[in-house]
Amino acid sequence: MTLQTQDIDLTACEREPIHIPGNIQPHGILLAVRLSDRTIAYASANVAEVFGFQAADALGRPFAQVLPALSAEFETQLDDPPTVGNTRFVRTIRIRTVQEERMFETAISRSGDCALLELEEPPVGSVSSIDALYPTLRRFVEQLQNASSIDVLCDLAAQDVRRMTGFDRVLVYRFDDQWNGTVVAESRNEVLPSYLDLRFPASDIPAQARELYRRNRLRIIPDAGYTPVPIQSHDPAPLDLSDSVLRSVSPVHLEYMRNMGTLASMSISILREGQLWGLISCHNKDPKRVSLQVRNACDFLTQIFSLQLEARENTMLAENRVRLGAVQTRLLAHMAAEEHFIAGLVNHPDDLMMLAGAQGAAVLTQDHCWCLGQAPAKEQVRALFDWLSEHHQEDVFATDNLSEVYPAAKAFADRASGLLSISVSKVHSSYVLWFRPEVVQTVKWGGNPQKPVQEEAGSLRLHPRRSFEIWKETVRDRSLAWDRSEVEAVKELRNAIVGIVLRRAEEMASLTEELRRSNKELEAFSYSVSHDLRAPFRHIVGYSELLKKQEAGDMSEKGKRYVDTIIEAAYTAGTLVDNLLRFSHMGRTALKPRQVDVAKLVDEIRQKLSAEQGDRRIQWVVGDLVPVNADPVLIRLVFENLLDNAVKYTRTREKARIEIGSSRKDGETVYFVRDNGVGFDMKYIDKLFGVFQRLHRMEEFEGTGIGLANVRRIVERHGGRAWAEGALDKGATFSIALPDQNEGAA
Amino acid sequence: MAELKPILLVEDNPKDLELTLAALEQSQLANEVVVVRDGEEALDFLYRRGAHESRNTSDPAVVLLDLKLPKVDGLEVLEKVKADPHLRQTPVVMLTSSREESDLVRSYELGVNAFVVKPVGFREFFDAIQDLGVFWAILNEPPPRRNGI
Repeated sequence: MTLQTQDIDLTACEREPIHIPGNIQPHGILLAVRLSDRTIAYASANVAEVFGFQAADALGRPFAQVLPALSAEFETQLDDPPTVGNTRFVRTIRIRTVQEERMFETAISRSGDCALLELEEPPVGSVSSIDALYPTLRRFVEQLQNASSIDVLCDLAAQDVRRMTGFDRVLVYRFDDQWNGTVVAESRNEVLPSYLDLRFPASDIPAQARELYRRNRLRIIPDAGYTPVPIQSHDPAPLDLSDSVLRSVSPVHLEYMRNMGTLASMSISILREGQLWGLISCHNKDPKRVSLQVRNACDFLTQIFSLQLEARENTMLAENRVRLGAVQTRLLAHMAAEEHFIAGLVNHPDDLMMLAGAQGAAVLTQDHCWCLGQAPAKEQVRALFDWLSEHHQEDVFATDNLSEVYPAAKAFADRASGLLSISVSKVHSSYVLWFRPEVVQTVKWGGNPQKPVQEEAGSLRLHPRRSFEIWKETVRDRSLAWDRSEVEAVKELRNAIVGIVLRRAEEMASLTEELRRSNKELEAFSYSVSHDLRAPFRHIVGYSELLKKQEAGDMSEKGKRYVDTIIEAAYTAGTLVDNLLRFSHMGRTALKPRQVDVAKLVDEIRQKLSAEQGDRRIQWVVGDLVPVNADPVLIRLVFENLLDNAVKYTRTREKARIEIGSSRKDGETVYFVRDNGVGFDMKYIDKLFGVFQRLHRMEEFEGTGIGLANVRRIVERHGGRAWAEGALDKGATFSIALPDQNEGAA
Repeated sequence: MAELKPILLVEDNPKDLELTLAALEQSQLANEVVVVRDGEEALDFLYRRGAHESRNTSDPAVVLLDLKLPKVDGLEVLEKVKADPHLRQTPVVMLTSSREESDLVRSYELGVNAFVVKPVGFREFFDAIQDLGVFWAILNEPPPRRNGI
């Protein structure tokens, strides 16, 4: 004979093997019949009180021989035993015991290769048949259908379970994501205090206990002060009592009950899609038994309740989805209408925030930050963005207690205690964030959540908390939790954005490819122009010169003039090609800026021009010319053009005066070239800097009409501006402004 | 005075050739102008092989090299000349119609001594050629010979 005992020498409740306690509660008897040979393999010690023989004497003997009447009652059940996890209530039977004939409610379940038979005497005065319970059940179902909200459903469940069982207090207890529980509904008399709205820390119900709750939906402890009844067996393996209705519970739990002042308890699991959603928890100050019939009715009621709950939650979710779907459709339309999707979001902050039921939002990219509604300050959002980029690159991240993971958030708890974020692009690191403000809630804990279990000095033995004094803890830095439908909605928005971004990226890629190709073609074209078009012009000029030189004596004046015209025309065409090439070059080559001594540069150009002008008299007024940071080759071209123009357009003046100067202000340097030449009419100002725009007739002033276009293009590539002022016949002033900080990347 | 070394003119375009010769003629340089019509022939001349195997002229004072040439182009000729320890010191002037910067950059990378974009104007063209001829054929002091040929 092996007496299965257990001690609670455990380091943690988590590890207590509560499914093999080796004992049952004393309000019933247990027999385990081995299915293979129908012998009695295990028996609770209290069979002696009922049947008059010692459990040990029955072990190993055929069930039919030891208890022929009972065996007959269970014959069909044993032929078709339930599978694991499906405890079956059989019926109420009448059996002759040692003393007299007595009523027993019977249940059968499975444990390994044994069938567990459990017999309980119904409590005195209990309702004895399912017929008596039926009206309550029916009314419950009718009321459920009219219940408008989950809260009302929970209230109804609590009331009806109490009506059927007569417990002092019935609670509906709901788990949150972290397995903390909250009492969401209560029905009670004045015997026990109210636990409504209390929170219980997750450690109150350890993981393996939750697993048993999930598996075995209904448990009862009629008397927390009971003396466990050992199970006896010749079999050394402990009997798995997971599906047993009489299973002895952890002494820790009994201590917990006694401390709580409830000597009887019953709990029924509420499952949603196979997961533990919550419990209906019944308490009684004094010991109390509830018949197996009633317990089964409660289980049945709870299952109906669970289904209703599921339906109600699904309906709510569906309603939310539809509502948020409409918002999302609007946002998509906004995004589609904009050049860049971000504009579609930031220009419609109300829709954006409504999508997640948020009071604030932010859209962030590597370079920009848009804050909308009740959002933290820009720098704070930026810092948060950095933190997210480093720690939360997942598609969706949600928390109702941001400062717990990101302590800096304490500073803006009033705006963003809750954060919901989507990461749009990992490569370019962009996010959309939604914020919820702090909601200061008073939470009543059914125990100190920080210190759920006390450890006795020098021992690993665990004790449940001894004090159930309720204290209030104000939970700070917390927002309302993000609803599943809201999280789903932003996830969908993310998918939509990613779709848009990808599509745009593809479009950009194909555009870039096209541009690259056309640039290549342009380059090839420009190369052939550079080489093959210049050559013929050069040849025309060259041969005409040779002709003029060698045949000058034989040519008429007219002939000479013709040849000169050919030379001039070809020369102009060649020069034009040169200028065009230079112009197209400017767009293609990178700037190589460095410090340029403008005074020296102007001096060089001026001397070259003066030399070409022969005996023309030009008065140069050169002011202070500050150096500038620019591409030296290109900036030389600018001044060459401006000074050349000034010389050219003062040609008709007796006394030409050309003034050059510079000034510095507002982070830029302005240079001007002023002349007293023919000037221009300000109504043509817009045409002045255009390619091939000429304001004078060719025979008046030569030129290809590209010089000023070059000037503007060069200056703009340096990030600067070029402009002109003038009056017809009164001269002109050309100015350029170059910024101090010149990135040179344009 | 040192012996008058020839000017090697590598030019395939007959019009450019004629104009260049006219310009060189006007500059009144006494140097002989050796004309070859493509890159391969230029290399043959420089390496004394093929038709130029038994040339009795000395190595050129300067090579006026057109960039675009049939068979072996100007850049390839330049590359070979500048990679050869014996020829490396012969000045090479790239003469081209092309204003493309990439050609200029590449030429300087390969060690060209000068790069001249042939000007459209005949006067400028003459001036450029004459300047080149005078500079490289007369003014430029070649490095001293290492062996006493």
